[in-house]
Amino acid sequence: MTTNKTPRIPTLAALGALAVLAGGAADAHADRALDQQPAVRNRLLLVAKRLEATPLFEATINADFRAIIGGGLKLEYHLGDMLSFGAIGVFSASVNTKLTDRVLDTLEEECGEAAGCMNDQTREPSNTEFAQHLNKMPFHGAAYLSLTPWYGKLAAFGRAFVNFDFYFQGGVAFANLTSSCDGDICNDPHPGLNDPEAMITPDDNPNNDAPLNNGFRPGLYLGGGIHVFINDFLAVDLAVRDYAFTDNPSGADFNADLFVDDSDSRFLHHLFAGVGVSIMLPAKVKRTR
Amino acid sequence: MRRTTTSQSLLVATVALLAGALVVGPVATAQAQPKKPAPAPAPAPGDDDEIEMEGDEDKPPPGDDDEIEMEGDTGEGERNLEADLANTTTDAIKADTDRAVRPVSWSDIVVVMRKPFLKLKRVDLMPFLATTMNDNMIRHYAGGASLDYFLTDVLAVGVEGQYFAKQFREPFDLVGRQARRLPTINQYNFAGALNFHYVPVYGKFAILDKKLVHWEAFFTAGVGFTQTEVVPRDPRFPGFTNFNITPNVGASMRFFLTKWATINLGIRDYIMVDKFEPTDRSPTMNATASQAEANAEGSLINNVMFQLGVSFWIPPTFEYSTFR
Repeated sequence: MTTNKTPRIPTLAALGALAVLAGGAADAHADRALDQQPAVRNRLLLVAKRLEATPLFEATINADFRAIIGGGLKLEYHLGDMLSFGAIGVFSASVNTKLTDRVLDTLEEECGEAAGCMNDQTREPSNTEFAQHLNKMPFHGAAYLSLTPWYGKLAAFGRAFVNFDFYFQGGVAFANLTSSCDGDICNDPHPGLNDPEAMITPDDNPNNDAPLNNGFRPGLYLGGGIHVFINDFLAVDLAVRDYAFTDNPSGADFNADLFVDDSDSRFLHHLFAGVGVSIMLPAKVKRTR
Repeated sequence: MRRTTTSQSLLVATVALLAGALVVGPVATAQAQPKKPAPAPAPAPGDDDEIEMEGDEDKPPPGDDDEIEMEGDTGEGERNLEADLANTTTDAIKADTDRAVRPVSWSDIVVVMRKPFLKLKRVDLMPFLATTMNDNMIRHYAGGASLDYFLTDVLAVGVEGQYFAKQFREPFDLVGRQARRLPTINQYNFAGALNFHYVPVYGKFAILDKKLVHWEAFFTAGVGFTQTEVVPRDPRFPGFTNFNITPNVGASMRFFLTKWATINLGIRDYIMVDKFEPTDRSPTMNATASQAEANAEGSLINNVMFQLGVSFWIPPTFEYSTFR
């Protein structure tokens, strides 16, 4: 029995040495393994592989002449936890800004062909000419790719714990612009045209030119926002969106050549703030490992 | 003799095992902790992305346990935010040892881990830049600084000052050329305020699933003054200045970078009744500054500004006074 025990001694010593080596290796391996681990485990995948439908409300930020206020829908599919694609469409109404109202209040009434009417004798527009040159944006939207690089949770007043994420979007924008200048207001048939042979000379009055600021406008889209999750499938969606496209919101002569044409349009940013309620489908949520 | 040899051999083996145990010790001990799982293995190549199970909201997720156990007391050791956030094994052992001697209740489980940044009795010095958000005629840029003292970790009082520079926006020119109207506007020169801050929202987020960043949101309310100056429509006539009492309210976010620096961004609404140049100025009417000021029209103004600043915290470090 005693002789049987003797060979175990070097075996135990070897096991000890192995343990020493394995210990060091385990530490190094653990460090490397930790480096490669995600920052958060067992996290609710609140957006991954889900369809997001968001009824929303949107309004311009600091518009020049007309504020655009509307409602619409955002549809977005999240390919994973960070990448998604989607589209947004918004129907809007237009409201004069305070600046526009103040200008309109000080402009003269349109007098047309009335005797003594001086509307067209000066460069000053009548209030009707000014108002009818402004355009509206009854529909606008975008198709985009979205990146959600930040997610987290917050505690409000030490009681309400909610998940949230930040997202950034980029893509193409579009807008349908309208303006309605009556024929008796915008009655210059040849704005800016100078053709002595045809006896056409410019009238140097941009106020009776057509505004040329309607129609379909493609452009670029940038956006960013935050989802604040109320539960597993509902989130408040707060966003700032920039629809950039060529536009001439005032419909008037921008480049001071005394007539209105397409060269008066320029690439403008139309900044909107939006709020919506995101419905995530399917309603059941998954977790990470 | 044989007995002596056996004893010596056992002694050698015991020493070797002890040496091994000393090195392996921390890992082995950590693995022996009932609530501290070993570092999770990397997902096997064949694994589906990250998804393991479906919504069992009622169960507290094991990941939260990890976070709780990460809250060690590092007050005496590493004083580095990065290290605190990455803090793992040693402190977990301390925490579990402590828990073993007293019963654990649900009230001991916190949802958000201990704040890695304390503000109590610290001074926040923040230089900042700001710009107007809601004026389509004139844009103001401001440079300033605020100095705040935190009475508690969520309540602060302080002062701020800022100096403005102006830039006319496109409609200012367009209204003149297209509508033949000269806008009536005031520029802002400088401002100051006494403010109170309250921090109701605290959170953290992960960037690209790799790095955790802590942040908080706070509300501000205060009162101060703003000096504004009339921009005369006709340069023949002089402008005048106004000194307006200016309450302000706002909301901001603070992102923690280190124990002594944060990035702040927020929106502030400065509310005042400002006096504007009268519309009827001529060589015979309101020609002088005092006459114009006497007949100036007042209007309620909301000067909404976006602010971005970097805070420096004094003293640059802090001590935790409680375990959590």
